Amino acid sequence: MYPSDLKYTKNHEFIRPMGDGTAEVGITSYAQEALGDVVFVDLPEVGATFEAGEEFGTVESVKTVSEIFMPSAGEILAVNETLEAHPEFVNEDAFGKGWMVKVKLAGALAGDLLDADAYAKLVSEESH
Amino acid sequence: MTESMKKTPLFDWHKAHGANIVEFGDYLMPVWYGGARTEHLAVVSQAGLFDTSHMATLRVFGKDAYDLLQWCFTRNLDACVGKDGAPLTDGKCVYGLFLDGHGHAIDDSIVYKIKDGEFMVEVNASMGGPVAKHLTEQAKGRDVTVIDLTDNLGKIDIQGPAAIKIMAKVLKDPEAVFDKLPYFSAKGHFDPASTLAGQAQLLDGTPILVSRSGYTGEVGFELFVERAQTVKLWEAIMAAGEPFGLTPCGLAARDSLRAGAVLPLSHQDIGHWPCIHNPWPFALPLTPSGDGFTKTFLGSAALDQAADAPYTLTFVGHDFRKVDTHVARVFLDGKEIGTVLTCVSDMAIGRHEGRIYSIASPDQPAGLVIKGLSCGFIKVGGKLAPGTAVELRDAKRAIQVQIETDVRPDRTARKALKSFM
Repeated sequence: MYPSDLKYTKNHEFIRPMGDGTAEVGITSYAQEALGDVVFVDLPEVGATFEAGEEFGTVESVKTVSEIFMPSAGEILAVNETLEAHPEFVNEDAFGKGWMVKVKLAGALAGDLLDADAYAKLVSEESH
Repeated sequence: MTESMKKTPLFDWHKAHGANIVEFGDYLMPVWYGGARTEHLAVVSQAGLFDTSHMATLRVFGKDAYDLLQWCFTRNLDACVGKDGAPLTDGKCVYGLFLDGHGHAIDDSIVYKIKDGEFMVEVNASMGGPVAKHLTEQAKGRDVTVIDLTDNLGKIDIQGPAAIKIMAKVLKDPEAVFDKLPYFSAKGHFDPASTLAGQAQLLDGTPILVSRSGYTGEVGFELFVERAQTVKLWEAIMAAGEPFGLTPCGLAARDSLRAGAVLPLSHQDIGHWPCIHNPWPFALPLTPSGDGFTKTFLGSAALDQAADAPYTLTFVGHDFRKVDTHVARVFLDGKEIGTVLTCVSDMAIGRHEGRIYSIASPDQPAGLVIKGLSCGFIKVGGKLAPGTAVELRDAKRAIQVQIETDVRPDRTARKALKSFM
């Protein structure tokens, strides 16, 4: 259901560790479904640093503006520039071309992240 | 979701077609299917179909039905149709409000005259009971009966330039139905026993009440039918609309379309404050000079004393970014002056050299890319002229917007039906 190589947060972000001390971060397919048409993604500058759980940007849909929170502490290495012209990539492929930032992890992954099964369980509890 | 939530007859259809379901008052309703932006644009350029069966309809009838409505409803039924203020006659309907003794809005409504002594009153979701109770209390011994038809009827709105061609495929005698059907008039009846039932029917003879009205600002119809016929009506229109790009639309698109059409949402843009100093003066029975009312009605005495009432103003932003209305405040030259009632994105409009254009504007400049603009209503202490720049601030962001007299241009609601056939 949810990619097993990713870790997840209770706030519906994902983090994809690349094995070399960096990771990709975005929001999950469940999050984009709930938000509706994404029209704008507000992302930080390269070089900015964030603690685990710190807000690093916002995702605006036709319905609402939602904060996004960094799953694990790190420094922004890259930002997905294509989202400026194509915010709908988040809806179309949240785990793929809808990625938001690449980070250099500041140490081990945060301890409170969920694996794919735990995240699937969280989602099924939320939607009932 | 609790078992006490109400469902329209189309709930199963919505779920089967991927609708994102939300709680709206007492009801479980689709907020969107494919996406609110797609649905909003579809209505402006082709057509959209809305399940509005959650709205309430009342039957108000009897010798004194006219008297009761003249007392409770803000429009003067003797002078409310067209530029010259003609009386409300059989088959005509009119928009107005039910106010309380303080001049505050109880609900907004469209009132239809079916025939002498027989009126149909359309109000908002979950308001059938409260408005029926209010009218019955105000009746005070008059010879009039109020019946709440909530749960007896289904209602479907079809809105957009393709609506006429689509409805022509499902109606028995479309030329007769569309002939002399101006904006805010109706033909037919949902009750098979009504003398009007033959005026508008589906191909299989099912009677429907076709109202030339809506909540999007685009041309189209509100269709009233007996509850058991709702799914059949919906499916017939969806099938007929397929070649025209008919799109099922949820509440999010409904909200952004009505805001772009400068229409209020009851209990949000009108409510517990005097119903005056707002973009809807036509809802009140004003004299030609505008300095008084042509009749006395429930709330009129309070409105006469309401010179200090707050102002409800229309605004449009410079891009589609919105603020959270729950917390947003309005600032003028750095000073806080009011609150934000509605803030949505009309995705069909854009600014260019001082003008707002729609994707439907026939004179839009070549190469103009329309991305949408925030729009809505603010409530402030004093009047502000159109063109005034104000700032809307919520906890996270500040957006610059401008006071406007209109939002989405080139709307089609009033255009002659012939031009769409």
